[in-house]
Amino acid sequence: MSSNKKWFSLNLSNSKTASTSTCGCGKSSGGCGSHSDHQMSDHDFDTAVDAAIGDERKKDGFDQVFDVQMDRRTAFRKLTASLLIGAGAVSSSCSVVADDEAKEKAQIDWEEQFKGNYKLMNDDEKKATVDRLVRSYQIRKGKTLNMSSKDAEKDVLFGYAFNISKCQGYMDCVSACVEENNQDRNSEMQYIRIHEMKDGKGFNFNEADDNYYHEVPAEGHFYMGTQCFHCDNPPCVDVCPVQATWREDDGLVVIDYDWCVGCRYCMAACPYDGRRFNWSTPKVPEAEINKNQHYLGNRMRKKGVMEKCTFCVQRSRAGKNPACVEACPTGARIFGNLLDPDSTIRWVLENKKVFRLKEDLGTEPKFWYFMD
Amino acid sequence: MMNRHILHTLGCIFLFLFALSSCKHGEEEYHSITDKIEAKSKNYHGVTISSEPLIEGIKTIKITEGEHTFLIPERKSQIKQYACTECHSKPLQEMQSNDGAKKAHWDIKLAHADLNTMNCISCHDGDNMDNLKSLTGNTINFNRSYKLCSQCHTNQFEDWKGGAHGKKVAGWAPPRASMTCVNCHNPHQPAFESRWPSVFNTQKVKERE
Repeated sequence: MSSNKKWFSLNLSNSKTASTSTCGCGKSSGGCGSHSDHQMSDHDFDTAVDAAIGDERKKDGFDQVFDVQMDRRTAFRKLTASLLIGAGAVSSSCSVVADDEAKEKAQIDWEEQFKGNYKLMNDDEKKATVDRLVRSYQIRKGKTLNMSSKDAEKDVLFGYAFNISKCQGYMDCVSACVEENNQDRNSEMQYIRIHEMKDGKGFNFNEADDNYYHEVPAEGHFYMGTQCFHCDNPPCVDVCPVQATWREDDGLVVIDYDWCVGCRYCMAACPYDGRRFNWSTPKVPEAEINKNQHYLGNRMRKKGVMEKCTFCVQRSRAGKNPACVEACPTGARIFGNLLDPDSTIRWVLENKKVFRLKEDLGTEPKFWYFMD
Repeated sequence: MMNRHILHTLGCIFLFLFALSSCKHGEEEYHSITDKIEAKSKNYHGVTISSEPLIEGIKTIKITEGEHTFLIPERKSQIKQYACTECHSKPLQEMQSNDGAKKAHWDIKLAHADLNTMNCISCHDGDNMDNLKSLTGNTINFNRSYKLCSQCHTNQFEDWKGGAHGKKVAGWAPPRASMTCVNCHNPHQPAFESRWPSVFNTQKVKERE
């Protein structure tokens, strides 16, 4: 029989009898051409092909694969094949032959895939996920990270003040921020925007330039910076469908990059253009990666998630000033604890004429502007 | 009958308690952020985070001005050729008149007010170069040079004391350590120079085309 077949078909059941009701091609009705004892005519062949794949010609995409008639034996055969593939995947992670590192990597990836929302984790779980991420980086890149999962300190509420008469538009803050927070170098993502505005026009964003390149400060202009204002009533948090972003007790509005689904609702909800989206996988040259990281801060992000300024949570929760504050050569940026009555930020709020951007929206940003 | 009455009352109490507790649900306690700051800072007992480890390697001195007490970096050890009297053994007049001899401080150009208002001896004491002097001739220590600046720049001085002018040495956490005037401003040319921005975003240009 197999001598005059038009094509080779794999006969897994090893049945050699021509009397079987089914054949290797998987059709239970009509002729598939493999059982005829004589050479087929062209017409017969076309009918056979039509009977076999006629439907599939009209079907598209998904249906082509799933909406096919098939008998029990074929179904079993296909299932077995997919099971074998699955088993192969499992065996690579469980096999005694594969090296321990590959197994550990698979184990870490598995646990990371199915971990919960960071917001709901207890301290042990937070530590476990951070340890996994550090180990994963170690296995993959051979370098050691220092990643923290430090929670908000009691009696701390972070606030920020920006002196618009001091800012000269040098943008040292922007470059310091990019380096500190491992932002994507390819898309040149920047959390901070410095707007060059005309004197006497007020905050007129329509006429402002946030990507100037000339000697600064330019005559007749002033400069003001925007970034995430860490609103006390953040609209971005309200709209997140998966609660991947929230306000911490110390006032920082943070994102769990592993819980974010990338819907960008928050980006649309933010009235201050404070949020950024990773359209591609963020890339930072290995030598430039800041290895002092925080889970909610500057750890490496992936494609398709939101990110934004976190007031450098990895620094601020360790008592340091955010990178932008430290980098500013003019002292235009003031950062501190709003709950400490002796802090400098409190003195600014109580003694300078401060205002906030779009105050009437009720978002209660914790970012104030003032003048000398 | 009595039992039913008691059950009814109990039920009402539970319902009332439930309603009370659920009323607060999801609502903020405070009307505005200023209310929140005011209320929450009433019971402020300090934080466990400290800036001390961050300023460990920096020599500081503690100053008290008005109601503000804070640290500023020590200055004298940062001046390369202190003490000045190691060279300035004679009064300034005699050293300057000595033409043809070695010149010192040739790189210093004074761009601070105009020469009607200020010259070297407006701040330096020609008779005692190891110290500065005020407008009225009182001695001012190099470590407290801000006292010199504050003679004219009174507004800046007020802002600096409170923390609205200038930078912190390291972190936000107490103890407060602030830079002093000369840590950012060159006293001989105190203005900030104009220069080019440190970054330019080429992607932003493409996106907006």
